[in-house]
Amino acid sequence: MIKNWVGFYTLSSREIMRFFSVWRQTIIPGIVTTLLYIFVFGVALENRITEIGGVSYKIYILPGLLMMNVITNATANSASSMLQMKLLQTLPELLITPLSSLELSLSFIIGGTIRGFVNGVLILLICWLAGMPILNLPLTLLFIFLVAWSFSSLGLFVGQLSDSWDQLALIQNFVITPFSFLGGIFYSIKMLPAWAMTLSQVNPIYYAISALREATLGVSDAPFLTSSIFLIMFTVATTVMAVQLMATGKKIRF
Amino acid sequence: MKNNLAIKIINLFKSYENVKAVNGIDLEIKKGEFYGLLGPNGAGKSTTINSITSLVKPSNGSIEIFGKNIEEDFRFARSKVGIAHQEVSQDWFFPIEQLLYFQAGFYGIPRNDSKERIEYLLNKLGLFKHRSKKMRELSGGMKRRLQIAKALVHDPDIIILDEPTAGVDVELRHDLWSYLQELHSEGKTILLTTHYIDEAELLCEKVGIIDKGKLIVEDSVDNLKKMVKNSSIEIQLKDILERKPQFLNDYEHNIDDKKIHIITDKPNMELPSIILKFSEKAIKIEDIHIPQTSLEDVFLDLTGRKIND
Repeated sequence: MIKNWVGFYTLSSREIMRFFSVWRQTIIPGIVTTLLYIFVFGVALENRITEIGGVSYKIYILPGLLMMNVITNATANSASSMLQMKLLQTLPELLITPLSSLELSLSFIIGGTIRGFVNGVLILLICWLAGMPILNLPLTLLFIFLVAWSFSSLGLFVGQLSDSWDQLALIQNFVITPFSFLGGIFYSIKMLPAWAMTLSQVNPIYYAISALREATLGVSDAPFLTSSIFLIMFTVATTVMAVQLMATGKKIRF
Repeated sequence: MKNNLAIKIINLFKSYENVKAVNGIDLEIKKGEFYGLLGPNGAGKSTTINSITSLVKPSNGSIEIFGKNIEEDFRFARSKVGIAHQEVSQDWFFPIEQLLYFQAGFYGIPRNDSKERIEYLLNKLGLFKHRSKKMRELSGGMKRRLQIAKALVHDPDIIILDEPTAGVDVELRHDLWSYLQELHSEGKTILLTTHYIDEAELLCEKVGIIDKGKLIVEDSVDNLKKMVKNSSIEIQLKDILERKPQFLNDYEHNIDDKKIHIITDKPNMELPSIILKFSEKAIKIEDIHIPQTSLEDVFLDLTGRKIND
C-alpha cells in the first residue's frame, strides 16, 4: 500500500511537470500530425474513398488517430523518463529514498497517463471541431484514460529493461507502429486478409481503437463488451507487470 | 551495545558474474563516528556503500541501520541515510532549487517543511544565487556541491560520501573537508570512501582498508601507522664515507653515496644514540630526516602494492 504519500505526490508531480516543461516535444507534435491527417484525408482523399460503416472516411479514421497519439505519448513518457533517469544517473538518487516499488512505479505510470490523456483530450477537441461526433463523452474519456494508463505501464516496463535510446526506438518502430496499423486506424480490419484478422484478436490496440470508435461514432469492428473487457484486463496486466518488475529491481538495482 | 551502532554490516558478499566485488565484509560503525573506507579503485568500496543504500542487492549477508534491517525496515533505514554518489547526476528539466524540493519530497518532507533547510543548504554550499539555474548552467564544482546538498536535504543522521573530492579542485576540496568536520562535530555519523590518503588521514577517526573485496584491517589512523615496521632514519653526510664504521652493522641499513638509510622500528628512540655514535667517529652529519609513515605505507605493507597504482 502507499504510505509515503508526500513522496508519491512529489514524484507524480515531477513526472507531470517534466513533460509540460518540454511541451513543444510532448504536446504540439500530436496536434500537428492530427491536423495534417485531417487536411490530407479530408481534402485530398475524401472523394476517392468510400464510407466505412456508414461513416465518412475522414471521420472514420479520427478515433484511430486519436488513440495512436494517446498510445505513443503515454508509452514514450514513462519509458523515456525512466531511461533518461538511468542514463543521467538521477535514478540512484530516487531509489535510495523511502519510496516503495509500488509508489515508484505508480508515479511513473501516472506521469505517462496524464501525458497520454492530455494529448487525447486536445485531439478529441480538434476531432470534434473537424466534425467528429462524440456519442458518449464519459465513456470516450474513460477509454482514453484506460488506454493511456495501460500503455504508460507498458512504457515503464520497457523503459526499465532498456539500456539505450536505440532499444526504445526498436519498440516504437517494430511493435507499437505495426500494431497500430494492424489495429485498424485507417480501415476496418474486415478489409484485411484472414491471418491479419486473427492477429488482431490479441492486439490491444485493435480493441482500443474499436472501443473508442464505438463510444464516439457508434460503429466498431469488435463487439463493445469484448473491447471493454479486453482493455480492462490489459490495463490490470500491464500495471501488475510494471509494478512487479520494479519490485525485482532488474536493471536498476545491481 | 547494539543500539550504539549506526551501521552494521554482517558477512556481506556480492558477486557480478565471475567477479567477487565484495568478498565477506563485516563492518561496524558507531554513532557519531567519522569512518573512512580506503582502498584502490575496484576494491569494493562503492559496492559496499551502495549495499547500505540498497542500490546494490547483496548476494549474501545483511545490513542494519541503527539496529534495523535495511530490507525489513527500508523506509526507516533510507530516511536515516543520505548519500552523495561518485557520479554526478544530471537533471536538465528543473532549476536546482526545485530539484532539492523534489528530493526532500521523495523523503516525505512537504515543501513548506523543507523550505528553511533548503535555503540553509543553498547558502551553506554557495549555491543560493544560482538557485534558479538549471544544471547545465552550473560548473563542475557547483554540480558536486548540489550533489552534497541533495544528500543532506532530509538532515540524515548518517552521511555517506563516495569519493567526494575525486576530480574536485583544491579550494572546493578544503571547503568540503571543513564542512564535513562541522557536520561531524554536530554528531553526524560520516562514512567516506576515498583513495586519497591525505583525506582519510585528515578527517577520519577510524579507517578501514579494503582490498579485493575484503576489509584487511581497521583501526585509528595512528594505530595503523604504528603497524608499519619499516620505519627509517635518513642521514645525509657531509662527505662520502671512507670506510664504513663498525657500529652501522648493528642496524639494518643501506648506503647510497652520502646518504645512509637506517631501518628501525623506533626511529625517534634510536636517533640520539645514532647521532652520538656518528660524532664519536667524527663523521659529520649534514641533515637528518625521519620520514613520516602514511597510510600509503600501511597499505603497501599489508598488500605489497601502492594504493593508487
